[in-house]
Amino acid sequence: MTFFKELRFNFMKDLGGPALMSISRKGRKRRHRAPNPHFGPALKSATRLKEIMTRHYFLSRYTEGAKPVAWVTSGAPVELLRAFDFYTIYPENHGALCGAKKLGPELCAVAEEHGYHRDLCSYARIDLGHYFSGKSPAGRLPKPDLLFASNNICQTVVYWYRALAHYWDIPLILFDTPYNFEEINDSDVSYMVQQFEEMIPVLEQVSGQPFKYRNFQEVVRIARDTSLAWGEVLATMKARPAPMSIFDAFVHLAPIVSLRGLPVALEYYQTLLKELKERVDRGTGALKDERKRLMWDNIAIWYKVRDLADLFAEQGMNFVTATYTNAWTETIRYLDDQRPMESMARVYSLVILNNNLNHRLKLMERLINEFEVDGLVIHSARSCKPYSVGQYDMKRLLMERLGVLSVIIEADITDFRVYSEEQTRTRLEAFFEAIDA
Amino acid sequence: MDYFAGIDVGALSTDAVILTAGSEVAAYSIVETGANSTDAAEEALAGVLAEAEIVRSQIKRIVATGYGRVSVPFADKRVTEISCHALGAYHLFPDTGTVIDIGGQDSKVIQVGEGGKVLNFTMNDKCAAGTGRFLEVMANKLQVALDEMGELSLRAGREVPISSVCTVFAESEVVSLVAQNHPTEEIIRGLHRSIVNRVWNMVKAVGVNGGVAMTGGVAKNRGVVALMEEKLGQSVHLHEEPQVVGALGAALLAWRASQSAG
Amino acid sequence: MTQFYGPSRKRYIRQQKQTHGRHPFGVFPAHYPREILWAMNVLPVEIWDPPLEVSHANAHLQPYICSVVKLGLELILQGQCDDLDGFLFPHTCDSIQNLASIVYDYLDIKKPCYFFYHPKAPYRSSSRQYYLEQLQTLASRLEKQLGPLDLSELKQRVQQGERLAYVLRELYTLRARGELCASNTEFYRVIRQGEYLHPDDFLPILEGFLADRKGQADRLCPIILSGILPNPQEILHLLDNLEARVAEDDLLNCSRRLLQPPVAREDPFEALAENYFAMPPCTTKDSPLMERVGFLLQKAAHTDARGVIFCMVKFCEPEFFDLPQMVEELKEKGLASLVVDSELNQGLSGQLATRVEAFLEMIR
Repeated sequence: MTFFKELRFNFMKDLGGPALMSISRKGRKRRHRAPNPHFGPALKSATRLKEIMTRHYFLSRYTEGAKPVAWVTSGAPVELLRAFDFYTIYPENHGALCGAKKLGPELCAVAEEHGYHRDLCSYARIDLGHYFSGKSPAGRLPKPDLLFASNNICQTVVYWYRALAHYWDIPLILFDTPYNFEEINDSDVSYMVQQFEEMIPVLEQVSGQPFKYRNFQEVVRIARDTSLAWGEVLATMKARPAPMSIFDAFVHLAPIVSLRGLPVALEYYQTLLKELKERVDRGTGALKDERKRLMWDNIAIWYKVRDLADLFAEQGMNFVTATYTNAWTETIRYLDDQRPMESMARVYSLVILNNNLNHRLKLMERLINEFEVDGLVIHSARSCKPYSVGQYDMKRLLMERLGVLSVIIEADITDFRVYSEEQTRTRLEAFFEAIDA
Repeated sequence: MDYFAGIDVGALSTDAVILTAGSEVAAYSIVETGANSTDAAEEALAGVLAEAEIVRSQIKRIVATGYGRVSVPFADKRVTEISCHALGAYHLFPDTGTVIDIGGQDSKVIQVGEGGKVLNFTMNDKCAAGTGRFLEVMANKLQVALDEMGELSLRAGREVPISSVCTVFAESEVVSLVAQNHPTEEIIRGLHRSIVNRVWNMVKAVGVNGGVAMTGGVAKNRGVVALMEEKLGQSVHLHEEPQVVGALGAALLAWRASQSAG
Repeated sequence: MTQFYGPSRKRYIRQQKQTHGRHPFGVFPAHYPREILWAMNVLPVEIWDPPLEVSHANAHLQPYICSVVKLGLELILQGQCDDLDGFLFPHTCDSIQNLASIVYDYLDIKKPCYFFYHPKAPYRSSSRQYYLEQLQTLASRLEKQLGPLDLSELKQRVQQGERLAYVLRELYTLRARGELCASNTEFYRVIRQGEYLHPDDFLPILEGFLADRKGQADRLCPIILSGILPNPQEILHLLDNLEARVAEDDLLNCSRRLLQPPVAREDPFEALAENYFAMPPCTTKDSPLMERVGFLLQKAAHTDARGVIFCMVKFCEPEFFDLPQMVEELKEKGLASLVVDSELNQGLSGQLATRVEAFLEMIR
C-alpha cells in the first residue's frame, strides 16, 4: 500500500467521493415511472440507502494499493476480516444488482462462452462473466487480494471461489461449517474455532496488519447490534398495515449483507427504523389497502421485483415476511463480543441454509404466526439448490399443519432466460383466486 | 471408370454424393429420410446413380455417415458426420478452420486442421434450442413456411428479443408476442438471434481460426447466416446445397481409402 | 465367467441378513468410512444409479435436480428399501445434503438416518483432527443402534479394506499396462459390485478375477474416464465396440475412492484418517483444481492415453464447475477432452454415441 494511494482513498472517502457522486447524479437523467396508485408513500430512507451503496461501489475504485480487498460470500463471518480493515466486495450482492438491472443473461452468456454450463448458479456465472469481460453496472470491481468463502450457504460458493482463486492465483480462505443435520456439537464448534485461529496468520500476511483483538470485539459488537436493528426493522411489518414490504426489504438488505460490522450499516438501520416506527404510528402502509399478508420463500427474483411488487399491490396483497431477509437477523443477533470466536462459529453454522429442513419448517411456522400470514409464495430458484431442494415437501407440510395456501414459481434469481412469464402469471392468478375464495 | 459414394443419413434428409476417381463431384441427390433409414439410403443412392448416369457396380467404395449410418447395409465403412463435415468443408474451401453445422436435430462446431482433420469439436446437448427443430416449431406457431423465414427476417426493420432459451417457453413467448401484434418478421429475427446465440457458445468453446464454413439445413436460412456473420465479424463459406457437405466428406473418405489401399 | 459375479442386490441383502445377521444400510454417495460399518456388522449398500424410472420423486424434487439424487429418493419411495436397517448420507453436495434432510425430517420413513460430514479442502491441521472426531462421533452414534464397536474387529476391517484396495490397485495397474484381458463392460461390472458386496465376498471375487485375467491384452486405443460414474453403461459397450480401452479412470465411484498404499498406524481410527487424506483429489472434497489436473496427467502419462471422456451427470454442480478449467488445462498439455452429459439410465442417444465415435476418430 503506497502512502499516496492511501491518501487518495481517504480523500475520496471523505470529500472527493461525495462531491463527484453528486455531480454525476445531477448529470444523469432520471426516468420516472408513473407511481402505482396502490402503493402508500415511498420510504424516505431509500435515498440515504442509495447514497451509501453507491458510495461503497464508487470508493472501491480507489482501493487498489490503498487497502487490502477481499471478495466475500454472503454468509461468511466477515467480522474477522473487518478487524484487518479489509475492503469487502460481495459478488452475490453484485449479482443481485446485475439481476435487478436485467444484465443477468448477458453476463451469464460470457461465462457460458468460457464453458460454464447454463445449469450452474447464475450468481456464479455473472461473477465469472464479470471476471472474463470486466462488465459491471457498478463501473468496475476492484481485484481482490483474498477470497473468503463459507459453505454455510451452499457448497456452490466454494466451487465458484475455487475457480476465481485459480484464475487470479490468489489465496482462498474457506470457513468450513459442518451441516446441522441433528445438532451442532462441541467437536463441530471447536473445529470452526480452530479454523479461525488458522486464518489469522494468513489474514495478517495478506493485509500486512497484526490482529487486534479489541478492534475485532468492537466489530462483533457492531455486527450484533446491526443484526438486532435489522430484526427490529423487519418486525415493524407485524403491524397492520405493514409500513414496508418485503420487496422494499430486499433492497434495504444490502447494508446488513455487505457492510455488516461497519458503523454506517448500524446508523442506517437506526434511521430506517425511526421512519418505519413513525409510519406505524401514523398507520401508513406500504400498500394503501392491505387486504392480505404474504410470506416469500427463497432469494428474490431480481429482474422481477418491481413487476411482482406492482402485481401483488394491485391485488391488495403485501409481503410482510420472508425467510431470506430474516436470515440476517435470525442467528447473527447472538454474536457475543465476550466469546467472539465461539459465538461466530455457532451463529454462522446455524444459518437457515446450513440448518436441517425441520428447523426451516419450524421457523416458517413461527413467522407465519407472528406476522399473521395468509399465504406463501415459494420461489423455486434453479440457481440455489440448498434453498430450493425440499420446498415441495415444505409446501405440503405447511398446508397440512397450518392450512396456509401457497404457490410455487419456477424461476431463477437473475437468469430470466429460464423464466416463463406466461406460466408464472397463470400460477399466480390461480393463487389469487384461491386466496380470495 | 471407378466412382466413390458417400451417403449421409440425417434425421430429416438423406444425401448422397458420387465422386469420380479424380475426386471430382459427379452428382448429388437429396431425399427425405422418412421413417426408414435403409430405404432412404437406397433411394438416395438410386437417385444419385441416375443423376450421374452410372450403374451400381461402378462404385468402388461407399462410406455412410449421419445418424442413420448404421442402417446402410451396403456401406463399406461408417464414419461420424463430424469427421465427414470437416473433410467435406475443407475440400470445398481449403482455408476452412471452423465448421458450423446446424442440422435439423443437432448442431455442432468443428475445428478443422491440415488435410481436413478434426482437431476439436462440440455438439449441442439434448435440448432442441439451437437446432433446426427450434425454427421448425416456431415456423409452425407463426404459420410461415420454414424456408421463407430467412427472407422474412431480412426484411425486418427491427428485432423483437426472445428471452427464453427453452423451446417450450420460447413457444409460449412467441404466442404472446403475436398477441401483442409484433410484426412476424421482427419476431423471426429475434428467433434467429436466439439460435445464433445458442450456437455461439459452441463456437467460442472450439474457437475460430481461419475461414468459417456453415453446413447443414439451417445454413440455407439467409437470416441466420447474416446474424452469424455479424457475430463472427467475417463472411462464411456456403455451398449451394449445404446439406450435402457431410455426404461429400463421406465420399472423399471412400476415395481416400482406395488411394491408400491402391 | 459368471464366477466373477455375486448374486443380485436384493437376494444378497436378504441372504446377508439371514446368514450373518448383518444390518444392510442404504448409503448415498460418496465418501464414508466403510470399515466402521463392516466392523459393526453393517452391510453398506451404496445407492448410485438404481435401475428405476423416476416418477414418485418428481413430487419431491424439482426438475433441475440430478438423477443420482432423484433415483435414490425414488428407490426409497417405491418401497425398495424396506429390507434396509438404516441410511447413511455423506455430505457430498448441496443436493444430497438436502435430500438427507427431506428423508429424515419430512418423509417419516421410520428408519435410522445418519449423516457424515467430512471436512473440505484446503486441508489444515484442524481438518485432520475434525475428521478423526467425525469418525468417532459416527461410531458412537451407530453404537446406540447396534451395540458396542469392537476395536480389534475395526482393526481387522481396516486391514481388509487395505487388502481390497491393494487388489483393486493391481487390477488398475494391469489394465493401464494393457495386461488385463477384460472388456470395459466387464471390468466395471466386476469392480462395481464392491458397491454392495461385503468384503468377505468381494475380495475373493476380485482375487479370482485378477488371477484369471492377467495376461497380454489386445492393443486398443487407450482413453481415460472422468466424472461421477460409468453410466449410461452403453458407453462402455460402445467403447468396447470401437476398440477403445479405458486405461484409467478418475470416476468418483471408482478410483477417486481408491485407497493408496497405507502407512502403518496402531490406532484404527488414525489409520482411517491417514488413508482418507491420502486418497486422490475429488470435487466433492473441494480439492484444488491443479491437484486434479496433476492426477489426470499422471494417469495419461503412464497409459499413453490421448483423450479424457468426462461422464457428467446432468445438474451435477461440483463436477460441472471444474470442467472448463480442467478441459483448458488438459488441452494445454495435449490431452483432448470429450464431455458426455446425460441423465442416469437414459441410455446413449444416437447423438451421444456419435460424439464418442467422432472423439475416437479424432484422437486415433
